[in-house]
Amino acid sequence: MRLTDMARQRFETTDHPYGESVGCLINEFARLPGIGRKSAERLAHHVLSCSGEEALGLADAIRQVKESIRYCTLCFNLTEDELCSICRDTRRNQQVVCVVEQPRDIVSLEAAGVFEGVYHVLGGALAPLSGVGPEQLRIEPLLRRVRSEGVTEVVMATNPTLEGDGTALFLSNLLDELPVSVTRLARGIASGSVLEFANREMLADAMRGRQTF
Amino acid sequence: MEKTEAVVIRVADFSETSRVVTLFSRDFGKIAGLAKGGRRLKGPFEAALDLLATCQIVFLRKSSASLDLLTEAKLISRFRPYGRSLHSLYGGYYVAELLSGLTEDYDPHPVLYDQAILALQRLAGDADFRSVLLRFEMALLREIGQLPALDFCITCNTPVGDDRRFAFWVSAGGLICSHCQRPEYGSPTITADAATLLSRFSDPNSPIPDIPPDRLPELRRVVTPAICHVLEHRPKMLRFLPF
Repeated sequence: MRLTDMARQRFETTDHPYGESVGCLINEFARLPGIGRKSAERLAHHVLSCSGEEALGLADAIRQVKESIRYCTLCFNLTEDELCSICRDTRRNQQVVCVVEQPRDIVSLEAAGVFEGVYHVLGGALAPLSGVGPEQLRIEPLLRRVRSEGVTEVVMATNPTLEGDGTALFLSNLLDELPVSVTRLARGIASGSVLEFANREMLADAMRGRQTF
Repeated sequence: MEKTEAVVIRVADFSETSRVVTLFSRDFGKIAGLAKGGRRLKGPFEAALDLLATCQIVFLRKSSASLDLLTEAKLISRFRPYGRSLHSLYGGYYVAELLSGLTEDYDPHPVLYDQAILALQRLAGDADFRSVLLRFEMALLREIGQLPALDFCITCNTPVGDDRRFAFWVSAGGLICSHCQRPEYGSPTITADAATLLSRFSDPNSPIPDIPPDRLPELRRVVTPAICHVLEHRPKMLRFLPF
């Protein structure tokens, strides 16, 4: 048996002084992102000490979200219906599509409250070194949407990392063949900061992306 | 605490705020470390730990087999592909893939580090990605001691110098002249001129030679198998690079 398997077996054991079910619960909590073994035990103790109603409410909420949430058939945002609330909203400009990597990026952009168009979720960024190629992303549905729905502008809102920018570059090269304007989010100095503490890249980006006053 | 200059060759998110980063450093070779708070915009990393970014790093070397602890990273430069060229971007990824796969932890190669930085700078400029990557591949093979013998026949020691064709026998590590060649070897062949050109690519101090377009496939017939042989698999990025 390999050392890692032995370690996993040791940590994932369901043996527990209170019983196997508690061991299972701790293991399930420990699988969550950012939760270690100690935190998992604390959460399990909380579940054991809270009322049955509260604990089953948590279980029901998890079950409900897994059973009712699916992807929007148009933009691949998370939704309970066939179309998400943004795609259904007739007040939004359907001709301007903002491309993001993950559904949680939509939440962040919506919190800013300035974008009035609609979204398209790619499902990640191109990362050939990690085995994520164009075929793993929802690129074809985006191209279909641009071709058939009279989209006039595509806003690239992928993460400002090399892989995010690479994905935007790949898409913009594909969209070059279509009659659509391709833009990307501005970058540079954060509002409220001071120039003295901005790094070279931020200043260069800000200078390159300067706007008419 | 150790301090050095390094280029990021692999990044994986570890938790909400932390990252596991593999870097190829000038003074320590390849290192892998945990950057706690490496995903935060503010803090000791300032979003410097992006793929192919060159940084000044500070890290705590762990004596056990566990990951080192990165404590600080200051961005020197970020890799930006040339214009809207995907080949430039994929070329950068290829450099990262080769550094990751063909170097060992804590095995410093300052010459290779300089060549990697130079290759990234050239890819970010308007240089032809094929020549840049060929120079880097040959410099890498030379540095890790896996450069094929390109100036003599590995069986009879006949020098490469006349106008004959030579077969490239990857597992034996070099060229075989027509006298020593056997049909059952089934190896690709190159001209003596191409072998000489490749030798010039492997010298990091000489300027990068121009590659006549019709000669490139011949050169790749040697370099691609040599890289695949040492790496023990075909690099993922070759699928994206139109050599």
